Amino acid sequence: METIDARGKSCPLPIVIIAKAMKNLLPGQSIAIRADDRAFPEDIRAWCRKMRQELLSLESKGAFFEAVIKKA
Amino acid sequence: MNQAAAREAAPSAASERLLSLEREVRALAERTLEHSSRLDSLAEVVRSAGQSEQLSMVVFSGSLDRLIAAFVLATGAAASGMRVSMFFTFWGTAALRKDRAAVKKTLVERMFGWMLPKGVRKLPLSQMNMAGGGPAMIRYVMKKKGVASLEEMIAMSADLGVEINVCTMSMDLLGLKPEELIDYPGRCFCGVAKFLETAAPGKLTLFL
Repeated sequence: METIDARGKSCPLPIVIIAKAMKNLLPGQSIAIRADDRAFPEDIRAWCRKMRQELLSLESKGAFFEAVIKKA
Repeated sequence: MNQAAAREAAPSAASERLLSLEREVRALAERTLEHSSRLDSLAEVVRSAGQSEQLSMVVFSGSLDRLIAAFVLATGAAASGMRVSMFFTFWGTAALRKDRAAVKKTLVERMFGWMLPKGVRKLPLSQMNMAGGGPAMIRYVMKKKGVASLEEMIAMSADLGVEINVCTMSMDLLGLKPEELIDYPGRCFCGVAKFLETAAPGKLTLFL
């Protein structure tokens, strides 16, 4: 599984980056994204709901968050 | 005699049965085609309904802070699957100027040219401008905090398919020529009718 690093990037970059990356995935494939933007947990949840993508996990790893998303 | 007649009749009955079968198959095929075209048009309706979520913005202001807000919204919405349409008018139009462009102008147009910001990099802040010190500080802070610069956000918007419409009336008033404005894929020079047509079906329209 690919991991994208959006650490150090602020809103709306993490969302823009994940939106682009998801386009290259096949349905059923997953991708991880790391970000330290404070809006990231709320934004990634909202984005997944809106885009009907499955948020497999969202964890705080101390200095950053890591989300794993499965393409619908 | 009767046997012969029966022999004659048998093939014709069979061929009639064949013919009627053929007719039935044809009718079925036609109905199937009809259904499939109806399904196609239904699918189109569903597809366009899914895309009907859109964000329309009137960008009236030409200050750096307001433009940053406008483009954060635009890129965020486009990345969330929404159609985004921006309509630049008045100072917003002027904010789309290139750093430099040689064009012929009248005296009044030239005067406007001197007073309007020359390029996205030269935009003032709506507050705390401090004779250009404010924008420099904001840009420095943005870079430090990982916020994309306005130029980067405009490039991202182009990449994400955000539509930019430019009000020709403001261009005329401010003496701005198309070749003076930043190159943006599919930029459209238009008026209020085009904006209204685009914005009317959407639920989200902002004036910045």
